[in-house]
Amino acid sequence: MDLLTSLKISSSGLTANKKRMAAITSNIANAQTTRTAEGGPYQPKEVVFGSEPARESFSEILEGELEEKAQAVHATEIQNSKKPPILKYEPNHPDANAEGYVAYPNINTMEEMANMIEASRAYEANISAMAAAKAMATKDLEIGRN
Amino acid sequence: MKIDDKTMQALTASLKFRQLRLELQASNIANAETPGYKAKKLDFEDALARALDVDGQLAMKASDSQHFNVGGGGFNNLQPEIYEDSNGIVSPDGNNVDRDQEMAEMAENKHMYDATVQLINKKLGLLKYAVGSGQ
Repeated sequence: MDLLTSLKISSSGLTANKKRMAAITSNIANAQTTRTAEGGPYQPKEVVFGSEPARESFSEILEGELEEKAQAVHATEIQNSKKPPILKYEPNHPDANAEGYVAYPNINTMEEMANMIEASRAYEANISAMAAAKAMATKDLEIGRN
Repeated sequence: MKIDDKTMQALTASLKFRQLRLELQASNIANAETPGYKAKKLDFEDALARALDVDGQLAMKASDSQHFNVGGGGFNNLQPEIYEDSNGIVSPDGNNVDRDQEMAEMAENKHMYDATVQLINKKLGLLKYAVGSGQ
């Protein structure tokens, strides 16, 4: 229980949102990608957040009640979206299948933009929390200075 | 005047709990989009009031030294309550963190923390004045 734990939690929030931002930019950049190393069109990426206890040392774990205490966040996994690709009829496209359809990644750019705004707001909120922790830690140093 | 008197103990306990509260607020903000996460809140004011027991109404009477000190007194076994917030709008993924509310509460918490530090300084200032015989 100290201000450093708060900082640690907020920084986990920053990291998680940065990963999310990376997935979003990757999705926007690859909205039209039909060819990947794994074959087939680009698979949209989804970041899944999970929480974990912010305490790491043995004594803290011994104290118990971990599930009730403050939780850090982490991007547990970057998954490929389950959305099926969109088929467009473009017979002259090099990646067209036998019927003349091209599989494009199912990415809604508007949706990605909205997610991006959300991620950047979440990032800012974590920065604010971090600033509050720092301000409080600085205030601590003022005790007895008068 | 003792340095570590009731006021000082209450103030330091308050600082400690406000740090813990900030920790939970940081946790709530960081997990504002974690599926299934529930906002965590800390309630220490009641526990602190019981420990302070200003008017002597909250503690049980202890007329013998062997009696347990139930209710009031005792800053050592303060039991603040950490609970999951049952209010608020639960989104479809089971998360009920209200980020704006957390930010507002964080600002309030920080303000009260600053005020508490200032009170500690005033208290120490008084001691200093006494030690220096008012010079």
